[in-house]
Amino acid sequence: MTGRKEHSYIPTLKQDFAEGKVDRREFLRTATLLGMSAGAAYAFAGRVAGETFVAKAHAATPKMGGNLRVSMNVKESADPATYSWSEPGNLGRHMTEPLVQIDKDRIPRPHLAESWEASDDLKTWTFRLRKGVKWSNGDDFGADDVVFNMRRWLDPATGSSNQARFISMTEQVDTGKKDKDGNPKMSTVASEGAVEKIDDHTVRFHLNVPNISVPESLADYPALIVHRRFSEEGGDLTKNPVGTGAFTLKEFAVGEKAVLVKRTDVPYWGGDVYLDRITYVDHGDDPAPAIAALASDQVDAWMRPSVEQLSTLAKLPNIEVYEVEAAQTGVARMHVNEKPFDNKKLRQAFQACVDAKRVLEVAYQNRGTPGADHHVSPLHPAYAELPAQKQDYGLAKKLLAEAGYPDGIRLTIDCVATPTWEQNTCKALSEMVKPGGIDLAINIMPGGTYWDRWMSTPFGFTSWTHRAHATQVLNLGYRTGGRWNETGYANPEFDKLLNEAGATLDADERRKVMAKLEAILQDDAIISQDFWRLVYTAANKRVHGIYAQVALEHHYNKVWIE
Amino acid sequence: MVVFILRRLGFMVLTMVVVSLLLFLLLEISPGNVATKVLGPYSSEEQRTLWLAAHGYFEPLHVRYFSWLGNFATGDFGESIRFKVPVSEVLWPRLANTAILGLATFAIMIPLSLVLGILAGMREGSKLDRAISVTSIATTSVPEFASAVFLSAIFVFWLKLLPGTSGMTEGFSIKQLILPVMVLVLYDFGYVARMTRASMAEVMTTAYIRTAVLKGLPYKQVILKHALRNALITPFTVIMLQINWLLSGVIVVEFFFAYKGFGALLLEASLNQDIFLIEACAMVAVFVAVATQAIADIGYTYLNPRIRFA
Repeated sequence: MTGRKEHSYIPTLKQDFAEGKVDRREFLRTATLLGMSAGAAYAFAGRVAGETFVAKAHAATPKMGGNLRVSMNVKESADPATYSWSEPGNLGRHMTEPLVQIDKDRIPRPHLAESWEASDDLKTWTFRLRKGVKWSNGDDFGADDVVFNMRRWLDPATGSSNQARFISMTEQVDTGKKDKDGNPKMSTVASEGAVEKIDDHTVRFHLNVPNISVPESLADYPALIVHRRFSEEGGDLTKNPVGTGAFTLKEFAVGEKAVLVKRTDVPYWGGDVYLDRITYVDHGDDPAPAIAALASDQVDAWMRPSVEQLSTLAKLPNIEVYEVEAAQTGVARMHVNEKPFDNKKLRQAFQACVDAKRVLEVAYQNRGTPGADHHVSPLHPAYAELPAQKQDYGLAKKLLAEAGYPDGIRLTIDCVATPTWEQNTCKALSEMVKPGGIDLAINIMPGGTYWDRWMSTPFGFTSWTHRAHATQVLNLGYRTGGRWNETGYANPEFDKLLNEAGATLDADERRKVMAKLEAILQDDAIISQDFWRLVYTAANKRVHGIYAQVALEHHYNKVWIE
Repeated sequence: MVVFILRRLGFMVLTMVVVSLLLFLLLEISPGNVATKVLGPYSSEEQRTLWLAAHGYFEPLHVRYFSWLGNFATGDFGESIRFKVPVSEVLWPRLANTAILGLATFAIMIPLSLVLGILAGMREGSKLDRAISVTSIATTSVPEFASAVFLSAIFVFWLKLLPGTSGMTEGFSIKQLILPVMVLVLYDFGYVARMTRASMAEVMTTAYIRTAVLKGLPYKQVILKHALRNALITPFTVIMLQINWLLSGVIVVEFFFAYKGFGALLLEASLNQDIFLIEACAMVAVFVAVATQAIADIGYTYLNPRIRFA
């Protein structure tokens, strides 16, 4: 954010580096040749790799043993398929593992899978599984386990959010029952033959429509692979912790703590694991106890410091804060079927009032990059940069008058109380739209209340987590009838282009389609998406190998304590 | 006496039934919310409906209420939605933790506030009285969330003497109890001390005290034998009410220090609309409220023989 114009190739280069097309050395060399300062290039490289700006002075030899104590909410964690928070995912991941893992550098890497390949049309995905992996009960890990898990995710009775991630493997069937209005009740079930076992260590997924994000979806926190007899053996990981992971559960009390200990029964496939024990301590929802616990050395790490706590953490000499640039954001979204938001001119008037850069400064301490109202991040492969938007109150007033509100209008936005950056963003927006003739009231409510109505409220502020591909987000949030389409947006042209983008593998070709998609969303002004935020994690300096992951996942197999 | 206690008990049960019914109606109006809480905001309508059916949410309301009430009477409080274990498994340990916190607070607060109150009330208007009164008002007017931050800043971040949280994850620790108790005592002692002072000052102006002093009894004896018993009636009632206050008043302190007690549990249960847990917590709170009231009434007659049961 220096304001100096950078070389036009640099965004492309950053992109290629983020996607792993060019390596770090090549990136740094080319970027500096094109005029980016070495400091900035290193900083960018550090951000992409999820490192802190200050590089670790030396790589010491890992020390075996130790108990890593982490401040994190201990939530109900019985069934990985129904996890709806990152926290149970972090606990579960050390016992049961995913096929794919997204590491420090945001690149999906095979974990329980050994490799994968996609057909040219992106509709057939073949996963080869790692051989020699043992379950903690002595069984061999294999294709049966993966087939069991995928079928279970797609079964509507499981209630897994994975059904939405792999929606292209399902179809709608008539249940034979009628609802109150006499319409047939439909059920979403796995398509015939969607999951295929090729041999003991190969599975194949057959999709109805092309989907580029299958590996990333398999890396999400509810996609931990449980044992093939998980359901018949009680279906509760916290009571019967059978897994392929390096740790097993010793103690578990929701809202209090969870203790994982290193497994000794069966050798772990992933090589040396340094920690003997991981203790998760629940400090509730208030940040104060977590900071106090870090300061008085009651814990070694804290999962989710919020942006307001960074200045306090900076004053603690033993604590290191790790940050990562992620496609995490929040959108002030308008429901297009609700008055007055059905009026495009009104939505555009709101948009014209907003200076995204300023919102980022006020609401998130400028720790991130400004957004452009189309929910595609510069981090997403095939991101296309659109011309910059301008704050223009004159235009806003003109649009508002054309929309039928020459004297201004009063609007109300629903918003959760915590995390606080969400209501801070709404407050910044409220101040910003005032000169344009929009009086924006903020209706702050507990998270539970907001999540009951987030799909239907006329105007609400919703946070969206990181997703590796723009098409994943756009399919969920903006496709006609999309699973999490919270704006009621329905645009056949948009849907058509989205299909095209999902079926295009070449990044440059896809970029052309993305540019059209972004322009359509921006022009329809259904969301005010003001910034992409950096996310943080904090740990004591004696902890090595810890980093901030884009979805705040914990990968502690290689972490060690000095 | 027996009739009095029986009437108290009947009143207690009636209050609890009314509270339980109100809570049940409030919380169960929309079972859809429960499924959203459990399966998360991203679940589909179909998934939620299947979950609700599997967990008996489509039974008529009165059937669910009475089956719950029957279970409650036999000690089965149902299963917590948030904790996924029987309510009694989380409720009793949490209540015990708050009892420990409460006892420690009372063990310091009661002697401290009584002594200060009596000292101040003995000689109204003296320098000692002024000093104690000002301190009491000052400490009581600082809210707990402020004094918790303030004391943490001193003892945890600056002096590094005390642990910052009191989760007791490694077992019971006196050291972890110090800060929460300090905050509660600081907030509460001033109030009880001032009530004691007022009561004491009033007793000191009565005729029989004047008589005792005038007939030449030693001052110490006048205070201990004649003034104290009557002066303690008001503080006794106040202290009984403090038990009530403590049960909900600890929420802020428990939340701030991540102490795993009843207050934190109540807060968590309400934020997550954990129906059976809220009901059980509310029942405990109502029970404590009515029970302390009954004890206060009985204790009152002991302290003041002029009051007799009708």
